[in-house]
Amino acid sequence: MILKGIGYVDEGLQIEERQNVAFASILARKNQNGETIGELIGGSLREGPLTTILGDTVYIGTGPGSWLATSSTKATDFADNLATKLAGRASVSDQSGAYCVTRITGDRARHLLQRGVAINLHPDVFTTGCAATTVIAHIAVVIWQIDISPTYDIATFRTYSPDFRHWLAHSWRSF
Amino acid sequence: MRIVCPYCGDRDTEEFIFRGEALGRHPGLNSDEYAMFEHVYHRTNLSGKTSEHWYHVQGCRNWILVERDTLTHTIYSARLAKDGES
Ligand SMILES: [Zn+2]
Repeated sequence: MILKGIGYVDEGLQIEERQNVAFASILARKNQNGETIGELIGGSLREGPLTTILGDTVYIGTGPGSWLATSSTKATDFADNLATKLAGRASVSDQSGAYCVTRITGDRARHLLQRGVAINLHPDVFTTGCAATTVIAHIAVVIWQIDISPTYDIATFRTYSPDFRHWLAHSWRSF
Repeated sequence: MRIVCPYCGDRDTEEFIFRGEALGRHPGLNSDEYAMFEHVYHRTNLSGKTSEHWYHVQGCRNWILVERDTLTHTIYSARLAKDGES
């Protein structure tokens, strides 16, 4: 099993690098919260390490009053649009160039990921809609669970993505 | 040792930066030399239960106020420092 390029498939596991994903960070201004910010974009942003899906955008809780918004789009104005909508209640900055996203799915996805993170991924405590900002092999990652397959998206800073892929290949080989 | 971050949950201490004892407030720029010296250099270095500041750098990037026993490493509480001292 050699991991080259952007993806590979094996029994019980699929790994792919997602393309055309836009990112923006959202930081609440004073006295603002997930509810007051969310109402400007048609919902309420959940507080805590959880995801909120509004339209075609996933809002990932990354800290008190902070979220990472992400969407599958080639549009370059994702962050600008969000900034316009949230003006006055939150600061938005474009992070699209900063992250690479790897999607891991299949029966063995949890087992593979659990080798890297020092948090409990058991479905009783980490399931669809849960998120975590943590480290894998000293590499900063943001993880969120998409479905109960399970499917996880893992965002790493772009310059670390070759190192992350190296960790993936290495961990997979030692299964 | 693991710290239960009030936002992120149960995490390994590798994710945190240890700042040190949770001291009183900065004495202010107009305070005398001794008060400043005391604030910057003096630590009680307690053997037992104490309060400390930890920064969750590989997580929610917040300062955490942790009550910990320096002998047993038992952690009694952890809360966001920005929510206040008590
Ligand atoms: Zn945290």
